[in-house]
Amino acid sequence: MGLGYLTTIGTLVCIYAILAISLNIISGYAGQASLGHAAFFGIGAYASALLTLKLGIGFWVAAPLAMMAAGAIGAVVGVISLRIKGDFLAVTTIGINFVIVTVFEYSDFFGGAYGIMGIQYPTLFGVKISKGYYLLMCLGFVGLCALFSLLVSKSWLGLALEAIRENEAAAEASGINCAKFKIIAFAFGCAWAGLAGVLFAHFMRFITPNDFAFPISITIVAMMVVGGIGTLRGPILGALLMAALPELLRPLANYRLLFYGGLIVLMTRFQPQGLFGDKAFILRMLLGRGPRSMRHSGD
Amino acid sequence: MMKGIGTKELIVVWIAAVMVAGIGGPSSPAAAQPIKIGLMAPLTGPAAADGLSAKQSCEMLVEQVNAAGGINGRKIELIVYDDQFDSKQAVTVAQKMIEGDKVVAGVSGSYSFTTRAAAQVFQEEKIPFSVGYALHPAITEGGKYVFRVTVLGHVQGRAGGYAAGNLLKVKTVSMLIQDNDFGQSLASGFREQAEGLGVKVLSADKFKMGEKEFSPVLTKIKQLNPDLIYNTAYPIDGALILKQAADLGIKTQQMGSEGLDSTKGFLDVAGKAAEGIIITTNLDRDSKAEITRKYLDEYQKKYGFAPDMTGASTYDALLMVIDAIKKVGTDADKIVDAFRAMKGWQGVTGQIQAFTPQGEVIKNVELQVVRSNVFRHFGVVSDLKLLTP
Amino acid sequence: MVQQFLNGIITGSLYALIAVGLTMVYGILRILHIAHAAVFVGGAYIGLVAYTFTGSLVLALIAAAAGCSVLGYLIQRYLYTPMLTEERIVPLIASVGLFILCEDLFRLLGGPYIRAFKVDLWFEKIAFLEAVVTAHQVLILITTAVCLLVVYAVISKTKLGLAWQATAQDMDTARAMGVNIRQVVTFNFIIASSIAAIAGVMTAINYNSVLPTMGSVISYKMFAIVVLGGMGSIPGTVVASLIIGMSETFMSAYFGFIMPRDAIAFTAMILILIVRPQGLFGRAR
Repeated sequence: MGLGYLTTIGTLVCIYAILAISLNIISGYAGQASLGHAAFFGIGAYASALLTLKLGIGFWVAAPLAMMAAGAIGAVVGVISLRIKGDFLAVTTIGINFVIVTVFEYSDFFGGAYGIMGIQYPTLFGVKISKGYYLLMCLGFVGLCALFSLLVSKSWLGLALEAIRENEAAAEASGINCAKFKIIAFAFGCAWAGLAGVLFAHFMRFITPNDFAFPISITIVAMMVVGGIGTLRGPILGALLMAALPELLRPLANYRLLFYGGLIVLMTRFQPQGLFGDKAFILRMLLGRGPRSMRHSGD
Repeated sequence: MMKGIGTKELIVVWIAAVMVAGIGGPSSPAAAQPIKIGLMAPLTGPAAADGLSAKQSCEMLVEQVNAAGGINGRKIELIVYDDQFDSKQAVTVAQKMIEGDKVVAGVSGSYSFTTRAAAQVFQEEKIPFSVGYALHPAITEGGKYVFRVTVLGHVQGRAGGYAAGNLLKVKTVSMLIQDNDFGQSLASGFREQAEGLGVKVLSADKFKMGEKEFSPVLTKIKQLNPDLIYNTAYPIDGALILKQAADLGIKTQQMGSEGLDSTKGFLDVAGKAAEGIIITTNLDRDSKAEITRKYLDEYQKKYGFAPDMTGASTYDALLMVIDAIKKVGTDADKIVDAFRAMKGWQGVTGQIQAFTPQGEVIKNVELQVVRSNVFRHFGVVSDLKLLTP
Repeated sequence: MVQQFLNGIITGSLYALIAVGLTMVYGILRILHIAHAAVFVGGAYIGLVAYTFTGSLVLALIAAAAGCSVLGYLIQRYLYTPMLTEERIVPLIASVGLFILCEDLFRLLGGPYIRAFKVDLWFEKIAFLEAVVTAHQVLILITTAVCLLVVYAVISKTKLGLAWQATAQDMDTARAMGVNIRQVVTFNFIIASSIAAIAGVMTAINYNSVLPTMGSVISYKMFAIVVLGGMGSIPGTVVASLIIGMSETFMSAYFGFIMPRDAIAFTAMILILIVRPQGLFGRAR
């Protein structure tokens, strides 16, 4: 096993982990279905690529700007979620994913179908970051994102979001401004997806609209669900498992995709709360007793 | 529980193990170690058909070379990895074959964006990478270790425009452009050349890969009544364009690109609607070259159906690597120099005139016409001015 | 104009055939049934095999419908029903996994290459009012009409259909009133999967092709139609299918493909939902 091979997989796992954690803020904490998270992943990637290439801005300035761009458009989706709810919202976010990818694909400004080439690795104090350090940097960002997610869930914001998830009407009645909190959840979640996009663009150095299409959104949702929705460890471990799975299944050659699909079916069928969720058999085995809630809520 | 296995048996097993290790292990001479060459192709996922064509062609070639004694006594081992039509997996796979398997060269039997992503890795690791049929213009921008054995989309498009204006002498054309890099680079070359020859483009409509319903656009084109309809579709989409045009009673001459160069995907689906269409490609079915004849016959014999452009191009990409290694050994820089010096090299998909400094090939574009549901020779575009990128 | 109108109707009819089953599943179980597209592709393959062996289109349709009914029943019984109490996103992901599994299974069984599905009918095409319709398209129109009428008749006239309506309204109340929910759900999947199978065969004949990935666009795009129709409303879905079929056709005919067909469908859906968040025929929930 080469080091570069493992570094590549590791970096991709980190990027997916940020995506899954950030989606969990929207879907796990606030309970809003989103099947278009890859669109915000793409917005971050394209924003950072264009800012660094066309305007010559450095990575460290472009990254927060790209996050803001993704967060701002995420907030717009938050506004839409005030009007369109439940499964209607879920399918609407699929639509948003398609529309945004189409914008990338059909406008020359975004490179069209050829994508954007020549994106550079970031530099730190004038020195180009090597692949190994890039992985460390991505790991650092996963840590930051996890910390942010933890703070959200422990704070009054987390309590408000949970109230919205459990019963929106009741939350509204008890004086919670649901509209505000929903928009905040979407904005924060999408901003972090934007950061994942930044990391992806500068790692791959070549992006096409295809990299942010709807199937990627589904992959992110699957990571969150397979890991355990609503927890923090769930999305992280789910991303680790699902992003490494295509490589782990490589010895199966021709049957790789078959097993990949089959494993998703089995995991959701027999561990619907997630492999690392509160009721997961893995946790029960590790802890040696019945399910113990590790949820953020004060139960 | 250890009762069943006694000391005696353990000794026997141990001796057997040592013997097996002794036969297969370090005692074999280093010279007989196989030469490893990597192949990446989309074997699962949406482009699995092209991936299989590429893989089968390469496996056939390796069998042939190994049966003939390999390269200077050393066998070739083909390391095949699936990129699943995903640029992330392409990068991972490229790393894996370079570091894990220590391949001396890589071959792409995959699409544009996966190949573009992998090319970067090969360039960085300084391993030669030979590209079969991916047409993205920036693939060879990576650097000197990346080569492409098929002509650029823009060049092939120019050849199509030349054929339209000079050979078919059409005055007006309607274009159906697939909206990816493949379709658009072909279309831009076609348009540039055709308009230069005074052909008027009446309409240019984009469509997405996998589009099935062309009737609305064809109905519009029917009213425009052009002399030629040019499309840059892949097999099934192109077959449906022809079929639906025929259904609407459109009798206009049709032209396509190497995207349609597929027997199973295109000819079988289009059926008699394909009659008379002209395509620009690199595989001449009526070629007199022995290597091409041999490839066409043996592929048909081995796999039971006629091969397509993707298979033939990837075959050539691998064959070039093998020929270079035969000449100069397995050193990466020497292979790259050997590539550059390959003037007049004859492959299944025609003769290579030269490589540009960028690593793009200069070679003829074949024109094939469909007669009685088979591709036949129609002409060849060999004007160097058109063919140099 | 007449030709474009016909093109739109035919596209819309094929959409309706697929989407009606999806909306029925949603109406009862509230599951976004992505794997419906796998049932659709399965229908096309079973139909192709049956047609190759028997040479009869009717037998091919029956075989496809029967085979897919079994497939649909298995999906419902062993995958969806045990998951009904979970978070709504869980069965969706299970369904995605199943779709990936089935698509790859079809590739392994049928090979990755496209297979032609050529069926000759009594005539090839008819021309009227400057427009041309092929025999295959006429067949699609007739089949869609028959299928939709059968669904309508069964649901509004039979006892099982009434039970279906009650369950779609409110499953708990229906159960309390003595409706056999299990029977209704089974019946629901059999009807939905049979129609999907017929749609698969019709699509395959119309485009003379069967391939493992022919369901990938279908898998998500049909949701635009189902949502537009109001999620669970059968007449709404039919109307939405025709609206989407027509708007795609006229957009591409008069403006060219300024954006991909799928983006047109989803843009139409988003615009209509912003005005009517419960869809065209949906009840506000």
